[in-house]
Amino acid sequence: MEKIRIELTVNGKQHDLLVAPNRTLAQTLREDLRLTGTKQGCEVGDCGSCTVLLDDVPVNSCLVLAVQAAGRRVTTIEGLAQGNELHPIQEAMIQHGAIQCGFCTPGMILSAKALLDRNPDPDAGEIKDALSGNLCRCTGYQKIVEAVQDAAAKMGRD
Amino acid sequence: MLLPRFEYHQPASLDEAVEVLGQYAGEAAVLAGGTDLLVNMKHQAMAPSHLVSLAGVEGLDQASADGGRVTVGPLMSAAVLAQSEFIAANAGALALGAAVLGSPQVRTRATVGGNVCNARPAADMSVPLLALGARAVLTGPDGQRQVDLEEFFVGPGQTVRAPGELLSALEMDAPAPGTGWGYQKLGLRKALEISLVNVAAALSLEDDGKTIKAARVALGAVAPTPILAPGAAEVLVGQAAGGDVFKAAGQKAAADAKPIDDHRGSAWYRREMVAVLTARALNQAWARAQGQ
Ligand SMILES: Cc1cc2nc3c(=O)[nH]c(=O)nc-3n(C[C@H](O)[C@H](O)[C@H](O)COP(=O)(O)OP(=O)(O)OC[C@H]3O[C@@H](n4cnc5c(N)ncnc54)[C@H](O)[C@@H]3O)c2cc1C
Ligand code: FES
Ligand code: FES
Repeated sequence: MEKIRIELTVNGKQHDLLVAPNRTLAQTLREDLRLTGTKQGCEVGDCGSCTVLLDDVPVNSCLVLAVQAAGRRVTTIEGLAQGNELHPIQEAMIQHGAIQCGFCTPGMILSAKALLDRNPDPDAGEIKDALSGNLCRCTGYQKIVEAVQDAAAKMGRD
Repeated sequence: MLLPRFEYHQPASLDEAVEVLGQYAGEAAVLAGGTDLLVNMKHQAMAPSHLVSLAGVEGLDQASADGGRVTVGPLMSAAVLAQSEFIAANAGALALGAAVLGSPQVRTRATVGGNVCNARPAADMSVPLLALGARAVLTGPDGQRQVDLEEFFVGPGQTVRAPGELLSALEMDAPAPGTGWGYQKLGLRKALEISLVNVAAALSLEDDGKTIKAARVALGAVAPTPILAPGAAEVLVGQAAGGDVFKAAGQKAAADAKPIDDHRGSAWYRREMVAVLTARALNQAWARAQGQ
């Protein structure tokens, strides 16, 4: 299996990597770049815990080959905070008690970010649609939706 | 879950893609969005030793209209199709189906070509394409051929595409003025769900804005492949559009369906739902045909 050289911009930082073709983007992020904020649950596209943004749109990184991401921009949960300041969605998730075990949280937040970047003032239905590919086994979703609504309101004010 | 080992190819043109595919005939698989293929490979249902990605072939992710013909590129994603004004105006049923496929993350990657080549009986883009009268354009070592989608699907996961052929385009006639589309999907939950039954409808009205000039109804998950319901189309044409004739068409569609019992639903229930969803899809198509 011939390894392939790729360039990947992750959270604004460019990386030059040599990857095996059967390596997924999730594996590359977690194992090669040690960005373990991206979680792996089902590994077949069902749960959304591996969600990252590829050129600003959400994908399940367990179903993208690293070579398919060559030359593109990836945003992971590690790329959201500015220094010690959390992203407003991260802040709101904590404030609303929308995190229990936390396994779904990185993916959830990235799906929410993709929504708010495109639609700064979504209604509850639009938020639920945007999060419909992210499963949470703990919270029952209500607090997550409220957190995203609150984050949208705060971001709109800034 | 690890992917089996394979060599990766990213040809830069359609000719080159056909050549690479031919070189590894029988051992190679085409990679589009990977949302079916990579899942199958992780489950070890498939282990192609070469993957031929289409990402480097220019123009496969575009749609266009030319001389009464609409062309949809096989690499267009469900997310793009669902949001495209061009698709909404020229192949509206496809936009409706694409919008309810999987989840946002899956829609970003899932391509229409992959949906068609994967040939699942409930596929959310294939059923609308059947209602649109689409044709598959296949490119192989011996050149191009066109196959009506009705003949393209052979069984679950099976098509007439030869291993050395690529689906290079989907084509259909441009819609007549006064055409509208409907799509209804019934699942056990709203997102991330393969349909229990899905129905796509295309309806064209005469200039009087009432009489049905042409109709096509396609059904998913009620036969080994997506199928047309010719009985439904027959009762519609020449009639004044409206609730009663749509209900009659629903009954005919239920008769055309060949559902089975499985863990997701019984054949009886599926047949009943075909009738209901067909009438709903036709109502939806009618509203759009009238410009609402
Ligand atoms: C979590 C999840 C949920 C899903 N939900 C739905 C759903 O609700 N509705 C639905 O219809 N589907 C669903 N799917 C299935 C899948 O997303 C779709 O069928 C999708 O359209 C496949 O496209 P792809 O580009 O990912 O295909 P790929 O996986 O890349 O390819 C699929 C097959 O087609 C072949 N192929 C692809 N493109 C070509 C081409 N141009 N020429 C020749 N062969 C080609 C491949 O070799 C492969 O055998 C779901 C999948 C997942 C993982
Ligand atoms: S781990 Fe990727 S969707 Fe579940
Ligand atoms: S907080 Fe545990 S899965 Fe969502």
